[in-house]
Amino acid sequence: MHEISLVQNLLEQLRDLAHQNNAQRILRVKMVIGPLSGVVIDSFTFGFDILTKQEQLFDQATLEISIPKVVFRCVRCGHEMETDGQRPSGCLACSEPILMPEGGDDLILQQVELE
Amino acid sequence: MCDACGCHAPTHGHNHQHGHDHAHDHDHQHEPRPNGNDSLIVDINRSLFAANDALARSNREHFDTDGIVVLNLISSPGSGKTTLLEHTIDRLGSEIRIGVIEGDIETERDAERIRAKGVPAVQLTTGGACHLDAAMIHRGFHQLQREPGGDQLDLLVIENVGNLVCPATFSLGEHQRIVLVSVPEGPDKPAKYPKAFTSSQVFLITKTDLLPYFDFPIEEATREALSLNPALQVMALSAKTGDGFEAWINYLRSLVKSNQERTARA
Ligand SMILES: Nc1nc2c(ncn2[C@@H]2O[C@H](COP(=O)(O)OP(=O)(O)OP(=O)(O)O)[C@@H](O)[C@H]2O)c(=O)[nH]1
Ligand SMILES: [Zn+2]
Ligand SMILES: [Zn+2]
Ligand SMILES: [Zn+2]
Repeated sequence: MHEISLVQNLLEQLRDLAHQNNAQRILRVKMVIGPLSGVVIDSFTFGFDILTKQEQLFDQATLEISIPKVVFRCVRCGHEMETDGQRPSGCLACSEPILMPEGGDDLILQQVELE
Repeated sequence: MCDACGCHAPTHGHNHQHGHDHAHDHDHQHEPRPNGNDSLIVDINRSLFAANDALARSNREHFDTDGIVVLNLISSPGSGKTTLLEHTIDRLGSEIRIGVIEGDIETERDAERIRAKGVPAVQLTTGGACHLDAAMIHRGFHQLQREPGGDQLDLLVIENVGNLVCPATFSLGEHQRIVLVSVPEGPDKPAKYPKAFTSSQVFLITKTDLLPYFDFPIEEATREALSLNPALQVMALSAKTGDGFEAWINYLRSLVKSNQERTARA
C-alpha cells in the first residue's frame, strides 16, 4: 500500500497550492495514472477518500483519474501494439517475445480546481 | 540543505505546518475566474514521483562522492536476503568494506544479524510502510556513517522491505537493483510483478538447493524475465550449499573494482 504515502504526498502539494492561491476548498483533482506506474488505482482512490475525509480543505474534493494507453514496440521489427497496459505475449508481426513498453509508467498530478 | 552534512539534498519535505490562518491580508484576491464561477483551475502536470526521484539523485551524488557502490535488494518476505548478506560478508568481509541498511516494517532483528558479522548496520523501521524511500535512505546513510567503520565503505547494501510491489516504484539512488526470487516461491514472479524486473539490473534466484523439491524451471523463469528486460543479468545460488556463489562474489568484486577505478580517475 505505497499508494497511501503517494496520496499523502499529493495532499501536501494540494495544501501548498491552496495556500499559494488563497483558496479555501479543493474542488477537483485530475490525475493521470499509468498502468505501468506500480500504482493500484483502487488503493489510490481508497487512500484519497480516507485521508481527505478528515480535513475541511478537501471535504468537497472529487478525484478524476485518466489512464493512458501503453505502446509496446517490438525490438526486432519495430511493430507497435497499443494496449491498456497488458503486455502482448509476442510481436503480432514477427512473434519476437521481447517488447519494450513506452509511456504509462508515471503518476501525474495534471490539474486542480480550487476556490 | 541537509542538516547532517550540509549537502544540497532537497530536504524541504513539504510537511511543515503553516502557522497562520489567513487573518492577515494577502495581496492576491479572489478574482472573477474565467470559468464563470468563483473557482480557479490550475494546470500542474507534475509527477508525484518527482520528489522522491530528486532525493534519490542527491543520494546518488553522496554515494559517488564517497566512492561507494550501492545495491538495493528487493524480494518477497523470506526469500533469503539477510542470509545472502551473512554469507557474502563471510566471504568478502576481509577484502571489501561492506555496510548494510536494513529496511523492515517492525523489528531490529536483521540489523542485529548483520552486526554479529562485525559489519556496520543500521535498521530502518518503516512503521507500517511497505517500502523504503529516498528520504529514509538519506537519513539511514548518515546514521550508518556514525557507526564504527561506517564512514569508510566500498559497498553499501540496502535490504528493502520484503515486498515485490512497492519498493519497485521508489528509487533510492542505488547503482544496482537486484530482484531476488527463491525457488519455493515458484517461477511465475516475473509475469506477476513485472515492474520489479523491468527496473532491476540483476535477477537472483536463491535457495537452489531446494530445486529437487519444488517445480521451478530456471530456464523458463529466466526466459520470462529476459522478455521483460533483456538487459537483466541472471544468477542462481544457494546460501546453504554455496552453489553459484562464485559468480555472485565475482560480480560484487568487479562492481567495487570498477567503481574504485572510476573514483581514482575522477
Ligand atoms: N534451503 C535454503 N534455505 C534458505 C537459504 N537462504 C535462506 N534460507 C532460509 O530462508 C528463511 C528466510 O531467510 P532470510 O534470509 O531471513 O530471508 P529475508 O529475505 O531476509 O527475509 P525478510 O527480511 O523477512 O524479508 C530462513 O529460514 C533461511 O534459513 C538457502 O539458500 N537454502
Ligand atoms: Zn505498498
Ligand atoms: Zn516484430
Ligand atoms: Zn546529506
